[in-house]
Amino acid sequence: MGRTLAIGTYLQRRTWLHGVEPGAKALALLLLTVATFGSRGPLGLALVATELVAGVVTCHVSPRTVARAIAPTAVVLAFALLANAFVADGSGDVALVGALGVSTAGAVRGALAVARIVLLVGLVCLVSSTTTAPQLAGGLVRLLAPLGAAGVPVGDVAMVVSLALRLIPETVGEFDRIVLAQRARGVRFDQGGPLRRLGRYASVVIPLTVALFQRSDDLAGAMRDRCYSGRALERVRWGAGSRGLVAVAALTMAACLWLA
Amino acid sequence: MLELRDICASPALGGHAQRVLDCVCLHVSPGEHLALVGANGSGKSTLARVCNGALPPDSGGVVVDGDADLSRADLARLVGRVRQDPLSQLVSSVVWDEVAFGPRNLGWASERVEGAVRSALAECGIAHLAERSTSSLSGGEAQRVALAGVLAMRPSYLVLDEALSQLDPGARGEVRDIVRALLSHGVGVLDITHLEEDVLSADRVVALSAGRVCWEGTPRELATSEGVVRLSGLQGGRLRVLGALGWPSLGEGAPWPPSAGKLALMASERGLGRKLSDACLRVQGEPKAASGGARGLRLDGVTVSYGAGEPALAGATLRVEPGRVCLVVGPSGSGKSTLALAAAGLVAPDSGVVSLDGSPVRAGDVGLAFQRPENQLFCATALEDVAFGPLNRGQSREQALAKARDALGLLGVGPELWDRAPLSLSGGERRRVALAGVVAMGQAAFVFDEPTAGLDGPSRSRMRNLVRRLAGRGAAVLVVTHDVGEWLPVATDACLLQGGAVAWSGPARGLLDPATYGHAGLEPPFEARLWEALHG
Repeated sequence: MGRTLAIGTYLQRRTWLHGVEPGAKALALLLLTVATFGSRGPLGLALVATELVAGVVTCHVSPRTVARAIAPTAVVLAFALLANAFVADGSGDVALVGALGVSTAGAVRGALAVARIVLLVGLVCLVSSTTTAPQLAGGLVRLLAPLGAAGVPVGDVAMVVSLALRLIPETVGEFDRIVLAQRARGVRFDQGGPLRRLGRYASVVIPLTVALFQRSDDLAGAMRDRCYSGRALERVRWGAGSRGLVAVAALTMAACLWLA
Repeated sequence: MLELRDICASPALGGHAQRVLDCVCLHVSPGEHLALVGANGSGKSTLARVCNGALPPDSGGVVVDGDADLSRADLARLVGRVRQDPLSQLVSSVVWDEVAFGPRNLGWASERVEGAVRSALAECGIAHLAERSTSSLSGGEAQRVALAGVLAMRPSYLVLDEALSQLDPGARGEVRDIVRALLSHGVGVLDITHLEEDVLSADRVVALSAGRVCWEGTPRELATSEGVVRLSGLQGGRLRVLGALGWPSLGEGAPWPPSAGKLALMASERGLGRKLSDACLRVQGEPKAASGGARGLRLDGVTVSYGAGEPALAGATLRVEPGRVCLVVGPSGSGKSTLALAAAGLVAPDSGVVSLDGSPVRAGDVGLAFQRPENQLFCATALEDVAFGPLNRGQSREQALAKARDALGLLGVGPELWDRAPLSLSGGERRRVALAGVVAMGQAAFVFDEPTAGLDGPSRSRMRNLVRRLAGRGAAVLVVTHDVGEWLPVATDACLLQGGAVAWSGPARGLLDPATYGHAGLEPPFEARLWEALHG
């Protein structure tokens, strides 16, 4: 019955990309996104695509997972391709019926747009398969670490984000438990008008609030027990993998922006 | 040595502070296993909080290895504390981060943090869980993660505050192995517990009563004194056997530690085998001939699954007749809680039928008490809260209040508490009010999910008496439990679950045969081993 919180489909087994600092992955994702959308021709996109395929293969992400992530955008992608390829003003390279024709330049433009979206979804999918939401949130906060010098309590912000993510499944679980307990006491949440139903939820919301206060008290105690003082935003030194990944992403971006 | 010197403490409870610890002196040596016992509300958890600096005492001091001048953070690092509810002490979403939390707070360099996390995970046998989300862990796994999180800070002493009470016997064994290894490495352990097994295997026992140390001695001395056993609030099969054998008069030749084999041997040598069986291994008589009718609670081929994957319950068939008590036993994840929910009509089966007295069960037809029923209280007064269920069942206000008073009386909640706000009551009182709320519904069947977890001996007895009385009134009762031994005197039938399926079911007498437990991959409890030693 446990609900896990992870964007996309997080892979439990460990791959090299799991070991890369989440902040480095977020930064690399950003650089490769710029590369994908900034690239002028198919050469740059081919470079990004090669890197994506290499990532998917070496991290054993099933291509079906990537396909499933792209599926919801398929209609929009198909529409984008068709809208770019077909022209209705007679300027098409291949005339079909009357003024309707296919423009080669349009088709290429459409194909490039589709390729960009597919690449972006693939990259996000790769990151989310190897990073949990809390890790990613922590990584992003750590990228903000330089703000600490300006007096922003980055460590506390990181803890708050992490606790919030930790408490979401907890709150959902507690809510479910209390609903079951009250249903067992004969409360019918599915009968009566909206106001009556809302009133019945008092029997859930009140104990839930009490339980959450209790829970946050417990958590505060648990943090104190483990010496939390708010100062510690762990200094993470990026390993060779993290530095390498960001370097490759930066070079790719440079290549796409200037060379292609 | 961890020393508590003349500790007086008054933690704030519900807005007002009251003296909970009164001049307590206590010490734990390196490598020593000290068991701390006492009834619910005797101040044990407050003492645990004082030990690691979570609660500064009003007077007195905590001294660790001769150093009396320790800050709160120093104490927290030197004295680790693991609490009862595994989930309430996990602060991170991923196991690795959870274990690294303490070391990172201590400002250690990342290589040192990594080393500490790795060795703590290995010590607790959970290296394979490092990447798992903390909300996906079972109770036993979560408790080992909590323990690893404390051990990663390399504490010199460890306080276990009923750390095993919510775990199944298998998970308890795993945590005990970790604690044994720590003891052999010189970590001193203060073990707050209601489990006789842990008390009897300790080096020394201290009993707390109303905030004062009222007794101190060896486990053997504790077992020899009926008065101390009563004071400690301990209950269990071994202590019952020792009592039946007239343990104080057995002298130095008495078996220690009191294993089933040694106790049985001694009983038969002295011709006390029969007496022992009668006193300790009595179960309800053979079932009366089945009434054949559709009365009682029935599950017929019930399958329940949550989303894709293996069903949580697969084709479970079970029958509890009116007036009978059926135990549901099985390892964690065997589908016990799902069976409880299905029996109470709270999850709709994918296939199969759940019926009560011949009609399909709907939510509210069967009384259900969860592990911590006190979490469902919400009305302004205890009486109103108990009357809430009967009112939902369409009874008049007068009828509902009469039912509520009757139920509160059955649970031993005095009229002076009826008009109090539930949140202002003590933990034990809240639980009894919540149980009264379940009993007041007056249904023909009840389901209790782990009703005695974390309770002391007298409260456990009260719980068993409640079940006995409900069955006596003609209700069909299902009790989901890890502690088979304590329910044997009450149970008439039993069912063992494994992997969502009923692995064995039959009269409760079958639970005395160790072979029965093999069906569900469970270790036989003390009572079954004693039975085998006496009759096998």
